[in-house]
Amino acid sequence: MITVRARFSKTGEASYISLLDLQRVFQRALKRSGIPVWYTQGFNPHIYMTFSAPLPLGQESVAECVDFKTEDENYDWTAAAQQLSECLPKGIDVLRIEPVRTDSSAIALARYEITYEPDWAQRAARAYSTFAAASSASVEKKGKRTVKTIDLKQYTDVESARETADGFILSVFLPAGGELTINPALLTDYLKGLADLEGAVPRILRTALYTKNKEVFV
Amino acid sequence: MTQELRAALAAVQKPGRYTGGEPGCVYKDKDKVDLRFAFCFPDTYEVGMSFLGMKILYEILNAREDIWCERAFMPWVDMKEEMEKRGIPLYALESKDELRAFDMVGFTLQYELSYTNILAMLDLAHIPFYAAERGEDMPIIVAGGPCVCNGEPLADFFDLMMLGEGEVQLPAVCDTVIQGRKEGLSKQEILRRCAQIEGVYIPSLYDVSYLPDGRIQSVQSRDGAPAVVTKAIIRDMNTQPLPTHFVVPMIGAVHDRAQIEVLRGCVRGCRFCQAGFLYRPMRERNADMLSEAGRQLCENTGYDEISLTSLSTSDHSQLETLLDDMLTWTPEEHVSMSLPSLRIDNFSQSLVEKTTRVRKSGLTFAPEAGTQRLRDVINKNVTWDEIERTCTLAFNAGYTSVKLYFMMGLPTETMEDIEGIAETAQRVVDLYYKNPNKPKGKGVSVSISVACFVPKPHTPFQFVPQDTMESLHEKQQHLLRSVKSRKISVSYHDKRISFLEAVFAKGDRRLAPALCEAYRRGCFFDGWDEHFHFDTWMEVFRDLGIDPAFYANRTIGEDEITPWEHLDYGVTKDYLIREYHKAQQAKTTQPCNRACAGCGANHLLGGPCFDYR
Ligand code: SF4
Repeated sequence: MITVRARFSKTGEASYISLLDLQRVFQRALKRSGIPVWYTQGFNPHIYMTFSAPLPLGQESVAECVDFKTEDENYDWTAAAQQLSECLPKGIDVLRIEPVRTDSSAIALARYEITYEPDWAQRAARAYSTFAAASSASVEKKGKRTVKTIDLKQYTDVESARETADGFILSVFLPAGGELTINPALLTDYLKGLADLEGAVPRILRTALYTKNKEVFV
Repeated sequence: MTQELRAALAAVQKPGRYTGGEPGCVYKDKDKVDLRFAFCFPDTYEVGMSFLGMKILYEILNAREDIWCERAFMPWVDMKEEMEKRGIPLYALESKDELRAFDMVGFTLQYELSYTNILAMLDLAHIPFYAAERGEDMPIIVAGGPCVCNGEPLADFFDLMMLGEGEVQLPAVCDTVIQGRKEGLSKQEILRRCAQIEGVYIPSLYDVSYLPDGRIQSVQSRDGAPAVVTKAIIRDMNTQPLPTHFVVPMIGAVHDRAQIEVLRGCVRGCRFCQAGFLYRPMRERNADMLSEAGRQLCENTGYDEISLTSLSTSDHSQLETLLDDMLTWTPEEHVSMSLPSLRIDNFSQSLVEKTTRVRKSGLTFAPEAGTQRLRDVINKNVTWDEIERTCTLAFNAGYTSVKLYFMMGLPTETMEDIEGIAETAQRVVDLYYKNPNKPKGKGVSVSISVACFVPKPHTPFQFVPQDTMESLHEKQQHLLRSVKSRKISVSYHDKRISFLEAVFAKGDRRLAPALCEAYRRGCFFDGWDEHFHFDTWMEVFRDLGIDPAFYANRTIGEDEITPWEHLDYGVTKDYLIREYHKAQQAKTTQPCNRACAGCGANHLLGGPCFDYR
């Protein structure tokens, strides 16, 4: 038996599917797709699967993944990706399926593209330059039980900030994974206060997940 | 999705209710269809997505290249507020286009207390309530579903109502609209043509006049509309394919599973049950057709649970064959079966075994009344012996919880009947402890759920007044005092909700302003306890000079013209009166599959309902 990983996108309508619901959605889609997945034994058999670094509701991604098991090691995974996509809701597309090489505990970093629509672009750019110039940016990070104050600047690695026809686009790396996850909404919430961005609803798109040494995970 | 919509979704609970995009949902190019239909369900997404009728019609309409059917639901309170604040009009989930952009907007009327939600949805869509106020640029607003059997309180809001079964009728209406538009006809001309289709009722073509005492004097049709509208019916259910592609909700619906409709109608003739009279005669589908459709549906949806639905599944004449057929594929496909509405009197040993091969849940029975006398009055043909036999079987099979459904406020009811409810539950408890084969070391729990009886149109009890709220209150108290065991729990419905239900069930056109006014004062989601504002409703009635008791608590004369007199579901008024008289004498009527009682519904089929041998 091997474990395979399906990399998929979750955009538009699909970005509002919670993790709990996503599990059921994949459960049904895998069942429908006819892919030979392995079921847990027992009275109520189900497909054993794990999602890595799930997203908060409303954020989009082209770098999601789910692992599941199969006994058919020689299945045509290129075809499987297509089969599975057809059974999934609008906004979820399976980009590829392949045997797992890296354990998901290796995830350490995520890259995001944060887009402010044109009517908010100027203010967003202003907020961003204030943020860039500041020496620190402390925000409250809520855990399950605790609230910690952290310095966002320490964790935010900005790749680029640019104004385009689509609006103002900020590309950043933030910690993600088991050890520490910084929700990009912490950053957009912080920017909100810097230049009257109260009504803005930036699109947050995760484009990739990386390991500690910046190797692409998905 | 627009920025505004994303902002709204970010602010509400369960945004997945408002996004669409579920597996199985249909997208089309709007420029390539002749008719766009918005199927509206006037309650939450979770409730609406459980409703089989929507799935049936969604599939039938979308199977046609020239029609695109989309869905809309009543947004929950938080989303309604966001939409109003941000000026987002009510949209259909698939295209996200506002309802005003549609050719037809159709509501299903399932429950009287969702009427204000219809107004809320029209309001959110910026569509005027009254049909007379809507011009040619507005969609044609239509309704179907059981409450259309007396949709009179809503008559002024709808352009068209459809009585009976929609599988053939709705596409016929759509065709008439498409054709009429091509010919450049006005809305009124199109509606007049639609009036010739089986079961189509155009409220504006009927004039109602009243007597000084408030009763109806006459209902007159005009412009060629039929004097009496007879419901549409599928004569042979085997000619009507089952839907094999459901839109599969991603946030759990109330009934989130595959469903196959094994039969339509019911043979039982319980006198309080409106559905039992509206869907006559009972018609079955063949076992092999059902099993095959179920298999396809599970394959297409990925569901791992399938339910055999109908008003009375265990009355299917080939039930055991059907279960055997299904058991040939369900285990290997990891699908479990559930059988709702099992009836006590034919719950056989082998049936218990077959259903316990799947999941074991609680057992539910609906004796509806606490004494045999009262069960005979309502023609609920269930005896204590049958309850005893079934419970024994079930306890032997390992069941430990029993849910019993009753009603309160039934015609001829006395306190003795109320005590009978508690006694019935107590005897079930005793039965459990006397049973040597009961599950080891486990106690039993018996829960009694008591609804308030609501007299409904087209039933033999349409003539009777509803019990007053004071009397219902007394009876509830008496029941609580009569229950002695801690193994028994009691829950009952809000009698004020049942009162309002009775008002609108038997209401007439003069209630339309009350609906508008109540909505204006903040009433919607009336069926949800936490949003039910009874006092507001009473104020509205008082301010508009309407006496709600006139509708709910008054005896209707057998010769009185009811608001639904011109709406025909196949059952004759003579028959209803006969049954009403038999009820008063506590005389029962046989189920249709044993003997025909001559209700008249066989005329809908053009022959006898059953082949009695
Ligand atoms: S005509 Fe007879 S068999 Fe048919 S529904 Fe009526 S009572 Fe039943």
